[in-house]
Amino acid sequence: MNLKDLVEYIARTLVEDPSQVQVNMIESASSVTLELRVAPDDMGRVIGKSGRIANAIRTVVRVAAMRQGKRATLEIV
Amino acid sequence: MSGKSLEVSGASVEHAIEKGLTELGLERDAVNVEILSDGSRGQAEPGAPARVRLTPLGEPDVADDGTADARTSAKEILETLLRGMGLRASVEVLPDAGAEDAHAFVLNIVGDDLGVLIGRRGETLRDLEYLTRLLVTHETAKSPKLVVDVEGYRTRRERQLRELAKRMAERVQSNRQPITLEAMPPNERRIVHLSLRDHPTVKTQSIGEGDHRRVMILPK
Repeated sequence: MNLKDLVEYIARTLVEDPSQVQVNMIESASSVTLELRVAPDDMGRVIGKSGRIANAIRTVVRVAAMRQGKRATLEIV
Repeated sequence: MSGKSLEVSGASVEHAIEKGLTELGLERDAVNVEILSDGSRGQAEPGAPARVRLTPLGEPDVADDGTADARTSAKEILETLLRGMGLRASVEVLPDAGAEDAHAFVLNIVGDDLGVLIGRRGETLRDLEYLTRLLVTHETAKSPKLVVDVEGYRTRRERQLRELAKRMAERVQSNRQPITLEAMPPNERRIVHLSLRDHPTVKTQSIGEGDHRRVMILPK
């Protein structure tokens, strides 16, 4: 399971429409950017009130990236 | 099929549970423990034995309230997250001894080098718990009472906080001067407030905003 699979797993579990979940991973030597796309109606389910869900996902992603010596950015687009 | 419940007595709750587990030949996380009487503590007469009911967690059946189900999913979900995070760790399911709800449970993560999961002032652990609870709720359509811990960190921290509260309360009592503790997250402040709730000579209040919120202990 890589970072992309991890974000996909989390997002698919949280949304109503898992078929619309898409994760794009852009990696460099020192960093990794993950772009998460979900159905418009599902945005709230991955962001949460004041971004609480998004921040919890970011924390998990940050730890995962740190294990590979990288900095991670998660963008919900 | 869920196995039949077994009621056992012992000198203490722990003894009774151990005895029952031996009799059933099961591990602690394979049974649901209900404490029927905690022996000499509580209302029971001094010296009274503790009684517990152990129900083996099998496949959920009609009479099952889905607790076993929620525990298994919760364990699997957290294990998936940990694997995804590249950590070698396992998850043990324990009853939440401090909770009022008998279905409450603790997912304790065990393994090497897990400090990364706790983070500054336990922030990473809190986020991991929040996400786990959210995923379990979506997966099982129930809201389980679960706590995520790492190598018993929360239990240890809770004990430290209670001791700190007691020590500081004694100081406030003798000096008649308020003491303000360091900034703490809400769950930790709560432990301090609760542990001094019935104190005869001091009271507590929280001051400050957000991340800087602190507990103040002052004379009554």
